[in-house]
Amino acid sequence: MKMDVVISGVGGQGNIFASLVISEYAMNKNLTVIGAETIGAAQRGGAVVSHIRIADGEIFSPIISRGQADLLIGMEYVELLRHMRLLNPKGTYLLNAMKIPTVLNNMALDEYPETEDILKAVRKYCPNGHVVEASAAARKLGNIQMTNVVMLGALTKVVPFFEYREMKLLVTSNSPTRFKEANVKGFEEGYQLIK
Amino acid sequence: MKEKKYVMGNTAIARGALEAGVRVVAGYPGTPATEIVDECLGVPGVHVEWANNEKVAFELCTGASLCHVRALPVMKHNGTNYVTDFLMHVNFTGVRGGLVLISADDPGGLSSQNEEDTRILVHQYAHLPIFDPSNPAEAKAMIKEAFDLSEKTELVFCLRPVTRVCHARGIIEFEDLPANLPAAHYEPDRERFIMSAVEMPQFGGIKKPQIRHRWLNEKQAVLEKMMEESPYNWIEKGTGKVGLIGCGMGYTWIKEAEPFLSGKLPLLKCNTLPLPRKKLLKFVKGLERVVIFEETEPFVEGLCKRIFQEEKIKVEVLGRSGFLPSDGELSLAAVLEGIEKAAPKVKVKKPKTPALDIHVPIRTRTQCVGCNYRGILNALKQTVRKHKGIVAGDIGCHDAGSFRPLELQSTIYCMGSSVPMASGMVLSGVNRPVFAFIGDSTFYHNGILGMINAANNKINVNVILGENTVTAMTGFQPHPGTGMTLAGEKTTPINVPKLAESMGVSYRVVNPYDIKQCKEALEAAVKEEGPSLIVSSMPCYLLSTRQGKKVFEAREVKVDAEKCTGCQICINDFGCPAISFDKKKKKVSIDPMLCVGCALCIDVCQKGAIS
Repeated sequence: MKMDVVISGVGGQGNIFASLVISEYAMNKNLTVIGAETIGAAQRGGAVVSHIRIADGEIFSPIISRGQADLLIGMEYVELLRHMRLLNPKGTYLLNAMKIPTVLNNMALDEYPETEDILKAVRKYCPNGHVVEASAAARKLGNIQMTNVVMLGALTKVVPFFEYREMKLLVTSNSPTRFKEANVKGFEEGYQLIK
Repeated sequence: MKEKKYVMGNTAIARGALEAGVRVVAGYPGTPATEIVDECLGVPGVHVEWANNEKVAFELCTGASLCHVRALPVMKHNGTNYVTDFLMHVNFTGVRGGLVLISADDPGGLSSQNEEDTRILVHQYAHLPIFDPSNPAEAKAMIKEAFDLSEKTELVFCLRPVTRVCHARGIIEFEDLPANLPAAHYEPDRERFIMSAVEMPQFGGIKKPQIRHRWLNEKQAVLEKMMEESPYNWIEKGTGKVGLIGCGMGYTWIKEAEPFLSGKLPLLKCNTLPLPRKKLLKFVKGLERVVIFEETEPFVEGLCKRIFQEEKIKVEVLGRSGFLPSDGELSLAAVLEGIEKAAPKVKVKKPKTPALDIHVPIRTRTQCVGCNYRGILNALKQTVRKHKGIVAGDIGCHDAGSFRPLELQSTIYCMGSSVPMASGMVLSGVNRPVFAFIGDSTFYHNGILGMINAANNKINVNVILGENTVTAMTGFQPHPGTGMTLAGEKTTPINVPKLAESMGVSYRVVNPYDIKQCKEALEAAVKEEGPSLIVSSMPCYLLSTRQGKKVFEAREVKVDAEKCTGCQICINDFGCPAISFDKKKKKVSIDPMLCVGCALCIDVCQKGAIS
């Protein structure tokens, strides 16, 4: 088996936490895991992307090539688009319904695409996916920073590879003490969001 | 006790150095190498520090090595360029305790100002051996062996990881750290360690540099023999007359490509320099053509061509000198395309994806919301516009002032270049005020030398020092202006006004959150003859927030839509990500979710619409 996962977002959305939970889950299953991160511009509103590669055999490159990802998790509309072509059109995407405009969008020098145009392009590329109101749910729970755990909950519902009980345990063990309870709530909320 | 952990390549490299018993670690922050230094911290008896530049770090590590302890200088490719002068001496003297240079390259310039291949500098120019890892686990094994071989050969060894090794993650085995580190001792050996043009009577009066050069040349045969037996080079059997050679990440990409090929081609994994000559000759026996995949220059390609010519072997050598792309990172697509072209008998199943029919906006980096640089950059923008000034930029968070919307800095080259370049612009007679904008970490790196030169030669340049008291860009490493070492020990931060006084440079200290004060200081500096220094002093907002310290009193900031004329000065001259312009309403608004209440935009707005 293989499971190649791309998580794309904007610095500060908690990509790395999500990628560590997924990696640890695979490690606990005695699978091979390698990955890569683009870091550096993360704290300054830059785009960030994590690649996680899981297999029951040998894996070589830490980078997932075009059309090879089985799962694409977009924490933001445009960041999903940016890495869309890494996804195998037969794979699955999971999109957080959140827009973070770029500096040039703010200046009205560049257009942020309309939501329906984005969804049309995404669905044309890959029919299999879900749009999740994860940031809205996180905000309702009191902290938008919990978007990543809500997304992990949704992921667990959507992709059978991830088992509920073990994923929840990993969200707990990877969270700092003061966020443990809230993060578990966020995870459960994400799981419920997918009908 | 062995333990398996899922960690970054840089953590694996650091762990390897610690397991090898490294005693002194020094570097200057730079992506992708930074975390190697951070990850060495916390082991008793191991000194780990941020030096003010890479050359200092390397020289310091060499001093330690001459006292028979193991040392690790850590840098990215730009740092290796900077230490070249010292490298071209230490290669002649050799070392005592194992000394492994980390020279991390960034193919594709993912987080760099340039793209280069330091294998050329370290191996071709300085004749030193290199390990080029294919993945984090191999990098860890290599660094341990490099320490042993460095002591055995008395030479500096180099580990050259690329970004995709440094920032890759993998499952790494952690072994125990050595219980005791060897004690340091020093015995003079002036024949070796005094590099000077003196005659050597025992060599018929030949000067010492030539004799040491000879010593280094003689080492090459020893190294070549070592690399023949190296566990990092091997042959994988295959069929056909076309062979592949993979170096470092090149090997990784070939292995990634193999499942897409109809057959297995002969493959040589070649991760050492010098090359394993005999292994290479054995590999090419019966082949008509070889394709070399390496990051980034056609370096091994050139070495292979030379060896085949010397051995009178007829084999076509292809690679990054035009056959494969000559710039940027290797990729699965590039490797598959190369194999398809070079080996027409092999069927290549290239992955295809449909096009994505939509415009994807680019996301450029900017300063954080609340960053103090935005205040001084706005003041400078206004001053430059008024006086038709020119701004030479430097490396650091402030460099985003050169992008849209501000487009303020006109040049960015390497660490510390801003001040001398601005000085040269003044001396050209261009007859416009010239500014240099430099951060404090870069200033202590070597920008200070340009400042001393400007002072000493009475050059009418205006230097703005963005003193945020930390190396923010790479993740808050302390520097000589921080007042703290990497290990958290208190130190005396450099007092810039006193420094300016001693240089005879006029200086003005301003608060970047006070745009009016900044503008007045800039105005005064423009009017003044001779070099001036403006110290824009305020700790980094992001770090301060994390530490629970306040750099301003946060307040609620709103736009009065009645007063907003849609002039967009708050966007074009300020560029805060929390402010956006609505094309239809022709008004700006502030996103309360993003705004941190620094209130700088209140002073930026000329219509009194923000309060």
